Amino acid sequence: MDEEGLMDKSKAPSQNSRRAFLKGLGASATLAAAAAVRPASAATRPVQYGMLIDTRRCIGCHACSVACKAEFDVPLGNTRSWVEYVEKGEYPNVSRNFLPRLCNHCRHPNCVDVCPTGATYKREEDGIVVVDPDRCIGCKYCVQACPYDARFINPVTGAADKCDFCLHRVSRGIAPACVETCIGRARIFGDLNDPNSEISKKIATNPVSVLRPGMGTEPNVYYIAADHSDEHERRRGSYVRVTTHRKEKERR
Amino acid sequence: MIMELNWGLPVIAYLFLAGVGAGALTVSASILLRGGGGNFGGSHFDMARYGALIAPLPVMLGSGLLILELGSFHAGHWFRFLNLYTVINLSPMSVGTWLLSAFIGLSLVYAYTFMVPDVAPGDRWDVLRRACAWVGVPMGISVAMYTGVLLGAMPSRPFWNSPVLAMIFLFSALSTGVAAIMLARTLFRKFQIRKLEATAASGSSRRTSDLDVEGQYHQSGYILAASDTLLIGLELTAIFLFLIFAYLTVGDVRYAVSVILFGGSLAGAFWFWVIFLGLMLPALIELYYVVQRLLLHQNFSVPLGVEFAVPVIVLIGGFMLRYVVVVAGQITGPVGI
Ligand code: SF4
Ligand code: SF4
Repeated sequence: MDEEGLMDKSKAPSQNSRRAFLKGLGASATLAAAAAVRPASAATRPVQYGMLIDTRRCIGCHACSVACKAEFDVPLGNTRSWVEYVEKGEYPNVSRNFLPRLCNHCRHPNCVDVCPTGATYKREEDGIVVVDPDRCIGCKYCVQACPYDARFINPVTGAADKCDFCLHRVSRGIAPACVETCIGRARIFGDLNDPNSEISKKIATNPVSVLRPGMGTEPNVYYIAADHSDEHERRRGSYVRVTTHRKEKERR
Repeated sequence: MIMELNWGLPVIAYLFLAGVGAGALTVSASILLRGGGGNFGGSHFDMARYGALIAPLPVMLGSGLLILELGSFHAGHWFRFLNLYTVINLSPMSVGTWLLSAFIGLSLVYAYTFMVPDVAPGDRWDVLRRACAWVGVPMGISVAMYTGVLLGAMPSRPFWNSPVLAMIFLFSALSTGVAAIMLARTLFRKFQIRKLEATAASGSSRRTSDLDVEGQYHQSGYILAASDTLLIGLELTAIFLFLIFAYLTVGDVRYAVSVILFGGSLAGAFWFWVIFLGLMLPALIELYYVVQRLLLHQNFSVPLGVEFAVPVIVLIGGFMLRYVVVVAGQITGPVGI
């Protein structure tokens, strides 16, 4: 399966035929990936890739951010994957936690709902939300709509850009770059629809959460021991400092 | 607060300009249809004409500005925006693209029916003109409203995520549309009066013959001022509903609306430029003159300075409304992670 052919959408004239084209190519690509990631017996079930991040294992080393930058040659100043530091409390009762962030490949992605060109769409075969840079006009509607600030306009292509779960690697059965590089093994990647995958088992046996569940997007990136109350603590008057390590210094 | 504004001045200007154009067309078409295409009640036909000639310009200018804001345009893909025309989906921006294109086409045809030589009510362009007006009213309302739907479609932007926003934009579009017509009428006041004199001399004026030329001129001004007062009243009501519902809730929306409440970073811009200067002041001035005619049955007559200043501040207020809304929506967001 030639992944470059899959990525080259300029060959396909219209959205619908492009989708069909992708589906044809993608289905077989996914089969190959699925074989590596989970037992072949489950291959008929649609795949929903997801990630589980155990923040207790994260040491805030930014190896994932760097691996992502290198993998995609992300332009300076932009980030597909980043790690936030959350410091809070007064001495001696203090803590510093790390929150790795990326696109959640939501089940109800608002970014897809608002895209006027169909450039952003959720792949039926594996649930990954992708952007077709040749279709995207850079209107920034999706950038506004994502409740997680996962998107940015790539200054080189002029198109919306974000994490794509390393589609080019995953479709060949290789784990995403951030997962492979994580020295704390804080990240687990896999098929959420397969109850026997490592990620599904970990999610079933641990208290997990997703970010901003109130947004209704139903994220597919899960966290263990993520701190969801930092902003509220800050508003209550406690010392809380969030460092995003992005161009956008504050969380949106 | 250090926040990146993804949508800046071009989008703000677009929201304002599209509103003025859509409002002007809707008002022009309504005036024309109310007058049965004729000259019913003063110089209706001329006001419809001003609205028709104004309408396409701001909408085309605003749409052009939008293209300048596109990431693809910045990256040198100048015509990538044409991709918009290869898709129809339920994204408000896609719906808006088609709507806006149809609107521009329609408003150009409508304007043309007023540009033909010896244009007059009941001439041979009358049927086309009125057909355009019939389609123009719902289309103008849609163009005025969809921008509010576009901003409102995102839970990630609690400030915008209100169904009332589209109503605010609609009323603002209509009142700025009226203001644009008022302004044009004031600027062409001499021409207008000369024309009325000519009509009076030829003796063809119907129904208004009991008014002198000045009176006829002010009669049309009265209609505009009275409708503008009503529209501003409706706009203030919608803004009140927007504020009170946001204020009475808890959570993201309550936090977001606090940027335009007292102490918020946009409070000054909102309360002075939008509420006071753009809405209250012109409404009170217009009311002062309208009431004299409405209750005391005096002749409606407005000094030239006022006739000029009122629409200008209404337009400034309309622009500032878009500014405050677009910025406030982007410097606020969901609270907590
Ligand atoms: S996290 Fe944002 S960009 Fe990613 S799928 Fe969800 S809404 Fe879209
Ligand atoms: S920036 Fe591109 S991907 Fe995002 S909504 Fe606009 S066209 Fe779609």
